[in-house]
Amino acid sequence: MSRPRIVLVRYDEIGLKGKNRSFFESRLIDHIRRKLADMEGVRYRRPRGRILVDIDETQVDECVRRLRMIPGIVSFSVGVPIRPDVDSIAELGIQWIEPLLASGKPLTFYARTQRSDKTFPITSPDFSYQVGAKILQKLHDKGLSAEFKTPEFVLEIEIGHEETVAFQGRVPGIRGLPVSSGGEVLTLLSGGIDSPVAAFMVIRRGCRSHFVFFDNQAFLGRGGFDKTHRLAKIVNRYQWGGRLCVVPFGNLQTAIRDLCTPAHRVVLYRRMMYRIAHALAEKYGCLALVTGESIGQVASQTLENLAAVSCTVPLSVFRPLIGMDKKDIIDEAKKIGTYDVSIEPHPDCCSVFMPPNPAIRSKVDQLEADEERYPWKDLMREAIENMQVFDLDRS
Amino acid sequence: MIYLDNAATTPVDPQVLEVVNESMRRDFANSGAVYRLGLDAKNRVEAAREEIASLLRLPSQFRTVFTSGGSESNNLFIKGLCFPDKKTACLGLEHPSVTEILDYFKSLGNDGPRLANREGRLDLDSIPILKENRVRLLCLSHVNNELGAVNDPARILSALAVGSPQTRLFLDGVQAVGKLSIKPEFWNGLAGYSISAHKINGPKGIGLLVYDSRLTLTPLIHGGKQQSGLRSGTLPVPLILGMAKSMRLSIERLKETQEHLRKLRRRLIEGLRDLSGRLDNLDIRFNSSTLDDVEIQSPAIVNFSFPPVEGEVLLHHLEERDVFVGLGSACSAHSREPSKILTGIGLTEDEARCSLRVSFGRQNTEDEIEVFLREFARAHQTLYPTFQHKHAEK
Repeated sequence: MSRPRIVLVRYDEIGLKGKNRSFFESRLIDHIRRKLADMEGVRYRRPRGRILVDIDETQVDECVRRLRMIPGIVSFSVGVPIRPDVDSIAELGIQWIEPLLASGKPLTFYARTQRSDKTFPITSPDFSYQVGAKILQKLHDKGLSAEFKTPEFVLEIEIGHEETVAFQGRVPGIRGLPVSSGGEVLTLLSGGIDSPVAAFMVIRRGCRSHFVFFDNQAFLGRGGFDKTHRLAKIVNRYQWGGRLCVVPFGNLQTAIRDLCTPAHRVVLYRRMMYRIAHALAEKYGCLALVTGESIGQVASQTLENLAAVSCTVPLSVFRPLIGMDKKDIIDEAKKIGTYDVSIEPHPDCCSVFMPPNPAIRSKVDQLEADEERYPWKDLMREAIENMQVFDLDRS
Repeated sequence: MIYLDNAATTPVDPQVLEVVNESMRRDFANSGAVYRLGLDAKNRVEAAREEIASLLRLPSQFRTVFTSGGSESNNLFIKGLCFPDKKTACLGLEHPSVTEILDYFKSLGNDGPRLANREGRLDLDSIPILKENRVRLLCLSHVNNELGAVNDPARILSALAVGSPQTRLFLDGVQAVGKLSIKPEFWNGLAGYSISAHKINGPKGIGLLVYDSRLTLTPLIHGGKQQSGLRSGTLPVPLILGMAKSMRLSIERLKETQEHLRKLRRRLIEGLRDLSGRLDNLDIRFNSSTLDDVEIQSPAIVNFSFPPVEGEVLLHHLEERDVFVGLGSACSAHSREPSKILTGIGLTEDEARCSLRVSFGRQNTEDEIEVFLREFARAHQTLYPTFQHKHAEK
């Protein structure tokens, strides 16, 4: 029988949410349950201001890996349930600290106690002092000393009504708010570096993101779809319940290329992408679109062109990367694990669809005149009818 | 499905699969172990090595080293012999596992010359450049992987003997084995040769370097001193046995395969010429030689252009009809740069983008070539207006 462990999950920001706190807490615990669903014997508790997850020693590594991907968690610690007496806790502290002194290098430490059980007979500072003194007595000769401001090792003790837990170290979470506490959004995913980062940033603020990818397999093959599907699955690990909609876009692109002003092509493609995304957002109850656009990055992302695409939809368009530098976006993509997939070489648009000189400042009335020249409503309906939808939790 | 990209890789022959399967079950022991299970595995490896040496009719001074494939064989020989400062030369039309090594040498300050080519083959008139630059090793493809152009070692070696006797010749033979015959005199004067199993219906992940044992190579992989310390690492016994089997099959069937490939190739060239004559908007230009002569051109590869339609888009249209062809080296199929080999033989970047490589294997049939021709014409007619439009915009 392996030994029990307790994971203490902290969520500061939710703690500030007043009367809605219970709602946020239940969303967070729901996500944790889903993430750990396949781990046997896991139990959950919700004493005030904390979520406690009971696991056993063999599950620690996997549990830590998964909790690090859950929005809403500020930090967590894996602790040992223990009797609330000074001797037992000091003994555990000695067990943890002694190996760290084996190299002969001195170490500073501090014991810190928190009591949610105020009926406990010893005050927190006294309890910390007594535990600390016992440990120091045993290990002082081996190089251990007490340090209150910046200790290298902190032994933390939480004395609760039901039980006492001792732990050391805090694993940082990704912070933010629990998924699905903020509603649903639809991210336009391209296969590049930016859009997965944009989706992640909104997911971290408590929104569930679905994804739409505009595909043209007849010209580009299946490589773009495979890549985008992989990116969507990686981002979906930070949430659950995401869908990927793959919309065939070849006929629209061909019509625009053949019938409209060449310089307007890219903006016209994007206006159709926004319109289709809007229709899908309505279908799936999404309240906003999310894109990876950032000012001036490419010709279609000038202020004029951004405005010329946004005005096609009566829906909020979130662009979390709008003011970010490319390098910072890349760093973030590396952190969330999408970068290596994003840089796999695959063209996102066939060269035959690109105009020789794209317009930098498109005028909406001219774009509308172009749109009179091809049956965009019919082509849009056809594209949505032929769309494929993938459940990212399963596929 | 019609698979016409056999220069990228080939399907595993069922007889090879059987050998690999059986060996996976039986030969699990480490061939370096001293008990009899290990010794049995080692004996099987050495028997395979001998079998391959005899199939290739290798003279006794040649040594064989099993590697993970063609790229590693090229790296082991060229770096092992010339790193860091011995001068090396090539045409720039070789596989990236050759040209990238020479670029790497260049970054270290060891800059060897690139020699001129005629339709993808070494221009023998450029041999004096090797002498002027004191080039120690000339690296060439025996058969060019995109064009199928053949560098005939006998002619090159005799030209080297006269024009630059201190230069040795290394050939990347990955596209040649199983397509061209290897006579005993083939090895006279050759410094090294690399082979890959998956190009001849064998397993992926196994290849061979053959080299003149009088040369001293520095290993790339240090470790347990397997294969005389030249290539450390536990030997993949099943892959080695599979490679030996695939080499036996391909060399035994060589004459028959060659005849078959030549027939397919003749039919494809004839069919493309016919389409080119019948369709006003189709202008086929052959990038590989159309001569039916295995001394000059591999019977397994046809490379051709059809501007203004782009090869990659046509490839995806063929893919939709379950016909698979190549763009050139599979390693660069994802790059948006046009083929360096095609631009290297004088095509413009646009022409190079508008090309395909069809490469046959012995499993292909004449009927498949007919289907390819039909689907190619259909896809070309669908795409032509689109690309004509683009061309006009420029």
